[in-house]
Amino acid sequence: MDESFRIEVEALVQALDQLDYFAVLKLPQDASPADIREAYHRESRAYHPDRFAALPDPPLRELVGRIYRRINEAYTVLRDDARRRKYVGDINGPDRAGKLRFTEADEVEVKEAQKRRVEEQLGQTPNGRKFFAAALADIQGGRWDAASRALQMAIMYEPQNPRFKEQLAAVEKQRPRGGFSIK
Amino acid sequence: MSDDMAVGIDLGTSYSAVAAILDSKPEVLANEWGERTHASVVSFLDDGTVLVGNSAKRNIITNAENTVYSAKRLIGRFFFSDEVKKAQAVMPYRIVEGPNNSVRVQIGQRIFAIPEVSALVLKEMKAIAETALGRTVTKAVVTCPAYFNDNQRQATRDAGRIAGLDVLRIINEPTAAALAYGFGKDINQRICVYDLGGGTFDVSILEIGRDVFEVLATAGDTYLGGDDFDDRIMTWLAQDFLEKRGLDLRQNKYCLQMLKEAGEKAKIDVGRDGQATIHVPGICQTPEGEVLDLQHQLGADQFNRMVMDLVQRTFKVCDEALQAARMTAGDIDAVILVGGPTRLPIIRQSVRHYFQRDPMTGIDPDEVVALGASIQARALLDRNAAAGGQASYLLDVTPLTLRVGTVGGWAEPVIAKNTPIPIEKSKAFTTSRDGQDRVRIRVYQGESKRADECEFLGEFEFTGFRIGYRGEVQIQVTFEIDSNGIVNVAATDVETGQKASTTIRLSSGLSEQDIQAAIDKNAEVVLAGHGS
Repeated sequence: MDESFRIEVEALVQALDQLDYFAVLKLPQDASPADIREAYHRESRAYHPDRFAALPDPPLRELVGRIYRRINEAYTVLRDDARRRKYVGDINGPDRAGKLRFTEADEVEVKEAQKRRVEEQLGQTPNGRKFFAAALADIQGGRWDAASRALQMAIMYEPQNPRFKEQLAAVEKQRPRGGFSIK
Repeated sequence: MSDDMAVGIDLGTSYSAVAAILDSKPEVLANEWGERTHASVVSFLDDGTVLVGNSAKRNIITNAENTVYSAKRLIGRFFFSDEVKKAQAVMPYRIVEGPNNSVRVQIGQRIFAIPEVSALVLKEMKAIAETALGRTVTKAVVTCPAYFNDNQRQATRDAGRIAGLDVLRIINEPTAAALAYGFGKDINQRICVYDLGGGTFDVSILEIGRDVFEVLATAGDTYLGGDDFDDRIMTWLAQDFLEKRGLDLRQNKYCLQMLKEAGEKAKIDVGRDGQATIHVPGICQTPEGEVLDLQHQLGADQFNRMVMDLVQRTFKVCDEALQAARMTAGDIDAVILVGGPTRLPIIRQSVRHYFQRDPMTGIDPDEVVALGASIQARALLDRNAAAGGQASYLLDVTPLTLRVGTVGGWAEPVIAKNTPIPIEKSKAFTTSRDGQDRVRIRVYQGESKRADECEFLGEFEFTGFRIGYRGEVQIQVTFEIDSNGIVNVAATDVETGQKASTTIRLSSGLSEQDIQAAIDKNAEVVLAGHGS
């Protein structure tokens, strides 16, 4: 390895803690998942420790190792849509300097946001969820009357849930009108 | 080009192999008898020498108490684990408890740690390579199942060191297999490696773009392998014998070994010919002195029914890996089969059905891992590989979630499974008592939130930081998983930046002192059957 490579590595390690993950992977913030993977492969070709395994220079190998561990860290966060969304928000916010590395607290926040989304979809109260699940099963089975009843019960527990209301409207449309169904 | 030489070693549960790059082509190295795979069996002979390989396998019956096989099932395990209990019930050699809940085998008056036994298999591989290449070999890449945890990886690396090898890297078997197949075309390909070995099952999903082999996800079962197929046949034979003759062959370890051998042979025959004739003359004697034979026919349909649930279990693991990689079976461009048991038609048909495509079979499933390891060994030695466009990059992942123990028996995640390695993550700990001078951290690997349901890796105690009121001193603990999948833990005082020292590392592994002693012991061992 030539001297210019050593200088490049030393400079990069120096700057590592000031770089965000996009900069680590040399990517714009609007990079697509395919771009992210391609950048990861490109940076791996440049800094993968295996490339330097036979180098009789342990300090340089250690520096390369530090860069590569950060590349992996960056990729772990950016390849995941939910984590990336939060990260982009964080590094463009007021506390950018404190948010360059994804921490455990961030991880917890992402998990909670995901849980909230699921709850919004399926209901926030145990009874709301129970009736909504029953309604979905009834819809599957084509039991429109039962589905309608279950949804009305679910809405009783969660009057504000827009998804429950939407579903009820859809069921009402499907339900045979007129009261004289033939069995 | 470097004058150095490094080999690739597949250290298998049942069979091992060694390969090297010859004339820029990976080749499996045969021993003096032309054998290319070698039973991972170590037999301690009366004259003090040690016999390893296919000739040692015969001694499982004739010299049962002094012959150790399937050591890989025990490597890096705790003495109280289920796997060890199971092994104690069926293995004819003595399995005893060592310090810190570790496992030892006792041969006569001598006690061996499991890495010492594996080191003898590696010593044999080294000797085979040296004879084949006509030079000394000191460097190697050794493979292990992708689903091996830190304890098992450390123990595998220790085995290499004990055998006098500089272990350049521990690489995962499925990843090595992918490397052997090469790919390396310009298009991105998604491949699945289905690796059913003697004792373990692994699945890895890779995306390969030119020279980069990125593992997207890995999943496995370290309690499922070809041995379990043999067991099914054995149980059927023993059950039938018990009903007809009123004698349980499994009660006698000698009979059990004959039965086991018959089971393995029947599995191979039925896989190859669709039919197996089992005949073991004189397997036991009645109390009246009548010598009994074991005689049976096994057809393919009957065999397939016996093992169907085992086959299905492998696809549950495939489901898990695909889900983690966010794919379905239809997204896979190629399937690679690894391990002897994948020769069975039932496995091939099921794989074809699951992935809706024919698996690749260009390379012998018993040799593919060693070949891949030799490619990696060469790449790690050659400084100019990258410049010459010869390099390939393995981007592997950690198979299990790394956790720290917390109050109340819980284990909190630090590094999630399927995270690319090498990686590091820091976590801050604060003191909980005034004047506290030490912090203890227990590290685990596994997918349960309960510490007792995860694999315990070790306990670290840090000292040498400032002493202050509780909550005042912050210690930053950095967890690192290196390219071998091995975990390192270090701590620093956040305020002073001073490195805290690790005072103990409690785990089942060997201490540096043990390893040094074992290296000397191993060097003195004379391998039988090497005339020159």
